Amino acid sequence: MTTTAGRSTPTEPRPGVKAGSVVGWLASTDHKRIGLLTVGTSLVLLLVAGGLAMAMRAQLTQPQLEVLSNDLYNQFFTMHGSMMIYMVMTPFAIGIGLYLVPLQIGAPNVAAPRTTMLSYWLYLTGAVVMLSGFSADSGAADHGWYAYPPLASSRYTPGQGVNLWIIGVALSSLGMLLMAGTVLWTVLLKRARGMAMLRMPVFSWSIVATNLMVIGAFPTLLVAVGILAGGRVYPDMFTENIWNIGYQHLFWFFGHPVVYVMFFPFVGAVAEVLATFAGRRFFGYKFLVLSLLLFAALSMSVWGHHMFTTGQAASNYYSLTSIMLVIPAGIEYFDMLATVVGGRLRFTTPMLFALAFLPQFLIGGLTGIMVGTPALDYQMQDSYFLVAHWHYTLAAGSLFALFAGVYFWFPKASGRMLREGLGKAHFWLWVAGTNLTFLPMFWLGLNGMPRRIPTYLPRDGFTTENLIATIGAGLLAVGGLVFIANVVVALRRPHQAPPDPWQAHTLEWATSSPPPTFNFSERYPIPPIRSYAPLLDLREQEQSSRAEAG
Amino acid sequence: MPFSTVFDQLFTVWAAIAGGVFVLVTGIVLVAVLINRAKRRRKLPFRASENKPVELGYVVVLAGIVAALFYGSYQANSALNHGKGLAAETTTPAARIDVTAYRWCWDFAYQSAPVTVTGTCTTNDFPTVVVPAGQPVEFNLTSRDVVHAFWLPDFAAKRDAYPDHVNTLRMVFPEEGRWRGRCSEYCGTHHVTMDFYVRAVSPAEYQQYLDSGGAAV
Repeated sequence: MTTTAGRSTPTEPRPGVKAGSVVGWLASTDHKRIGLLTVGTSLVLLLVAGGLAMAMRAQLTQPQLEVLSNDLYNQFFTMHGSMMIYMVMTPFAIGIGLYLVPLQIGAPNVAAPRTTMLSYWLYLTGAVVMLSGFSADSGAADHGWYAYPPLASSRYTPGQGVNLWIIGVALSSLGMLLMAGTVLWTVLLKRARGMAMLRMPVFSWSIVATNLMVIGAFPTLLVAVGILAGGRVYPDMFTENIWNIGYQHLFWFFGHPVVYVMFFPFVGAVAEVLATFAGRRFFGYKFLVLSLLLFAALSMSVWGHHMFTTGQAASNYYSLTSIMLVIPAGIEYFDMLATVVGGRLRFTTPMLFALAFLPQFLIGGLTGIMVGTPALDYQMQDSYFLVAHWHYTLAAGSLFALFAGVYFWFPKASGRMLREGLGKAHFWLWVAGTNLTFLPMFWLGLNGMPRRIPTYLPRDGFTTENLIATIGAGLLAVGGLVFIANVVVALRRPHQAPPDPWQAHTLEWATSSPPPTFNFSERYPIPPIRSYAPLLDLREQEQSSRAEAG
Repeated sequence: MPFSTVFDQLFTVWAAIAGGVFVLVTGIVLVAVLINRAKRRRKLPFRASENKPVELGYVVVLAGIVAALFYGSYQANSALNHGKGLAAETTTPAARIDVTAYRWCWDFAYQSAPVTVTGTCTTNDFPTVVVPAGQPVEFNLTSRDVVHAFWLPDFAAKRDAYPDHVNTLRMVFPEEGRWRGRCSEYCGTHHVTMDFYVRAVSPAEYQQYLDSGGAAV
């Protein structure tokens, strides 16, 4: 049963443990707490990964600087990429699903809450283990975030850093696999009465598609890092081509779905934010749900587009499957644009981040078609063009959408409003900073700058673009500090957020901010569910009955 | 066809399409932001939350776009022989050169003469591989240790070099000249300086170069 009527809602889930204590948090089986721990940990690690990026940008500001040595630079880009992908964007994506999905579908908690708690511990341990590489004599891992053998074998990269990296990736990926499983289980079996699959909010559907990809793809990552672990002990195995190219196939079989794991929940967040602040029902719900599932299915067949220059992947096939992604992506854009075109727009901070996501992610998507075209990729692969494309999808795209979601749901999770003025300052600093940082990188790539180089020469002609990029990165850092200040100021104030500060559409806004232990209560019952926007239904019903009465 | 010709033609078309889509989408967002402000509008511009015929028609349009894009991608990739460059059947290379990448430099060995070129890839000691201008050249790429990539940015040509595997790259250097090549697959500490040069000379000079056992021409 999924109703909470008659169930008591204790403030202390376990006798003898104070809810607010460290043990109360770390031993919690409440999906909201585990979700907030996951999301909070990933945001702290975003600072670490961002700090590494700032150091790299400082090193590249001008030719032949010596801010970082070659080896330290190599550790920094490896750990920046590894932290962002394995420890920040992926856990945030799955963790925000854990926080929101039970609320959105009217469930009192996640299925298998103890397993879910374990998944957070695995993630946290993995992150700490990976970062601890910096304390090893050899330094942290420095083989790049996809750790190609033979480079990542003990012959060419000796030392503990790589071992710790492998253990860290394995632990946190196992954690994410478990968390995705329990959330998917919750969606399938713990929906409230009336919450049919096709009445679930767009965001919850984006999490379904995400978690399906996690379950399909992450086991392959565990196999791939298992092969790497073998190569730490028997480096000779990587003298055979089959292990090297085999690793790449396995890795990217995980590696491309994970790109959409780091994208879908954020598209889902943008869709909710756009619909809310357009004051209308999201346009094209059914096509969007279908497109997410098609997107997830196709994502399992495109991995070889990372391997066009290997000469060991069927390039036309992967080009076809990659270009086919235009169909689901095109549907998503159509629906989001139609929602904006058909709405009355309110420009809150989350709405600004969501609106900027549309053109910015589009640059990432359109250049994605270019790098998905083998004849162009033979030039662009492993150049700064790829770095630019990738950061337009993940930073200008997913990270903007992430902040749209953070500003949107912060009042729900914390019970406190963030300041709009500080939020807008953050937004404009980031629009300027993101585009100044990543747009010049397209030109750097076309002019022949390879990725992963710690320095360049004055005669290379890379100086101007790099200087602009570093200035942009500085703006991103300032914007990040504004955000932190906003959060700190808000958290020092008492609870003041109403249940639904935005006039939003979905069930989480029907309960208090923050929600009670089992999400809904007698004071905050689950409203009737007749569509994917139950709170909007209620408002429209009130309006029409008022009109009839008037 | 040469890599750079294919690249330039296709990139122009792809960039134009991308530019058009970007302007269209950004334009729609900006216009909506201007005219759909809540202050200006009392009611929603339209209330419909779906329109199946329009959406289905749009999916058909998208499928057509996919077909067109893939046709372009396929044609271009075929013209480049799936990244190998010139087709082997139609052209007999005038020079066959075995390229061995290693941490952190390159060895070049000519198959038709006992000539090898190498260097240390430190200050001013980069290997220069000499090729005949205007004639097909075949590079057979392999590696002695980790994965590297043979990249000639000026020619839009790139191919990975693996241990225990040979990748072929066939191309023509149409004019005499000297260009920089780089390793573009990250390979460790001195990846950044793993450069080489290609020097294209007249076929006569090339023959002279081989006959003299690799003396400077």
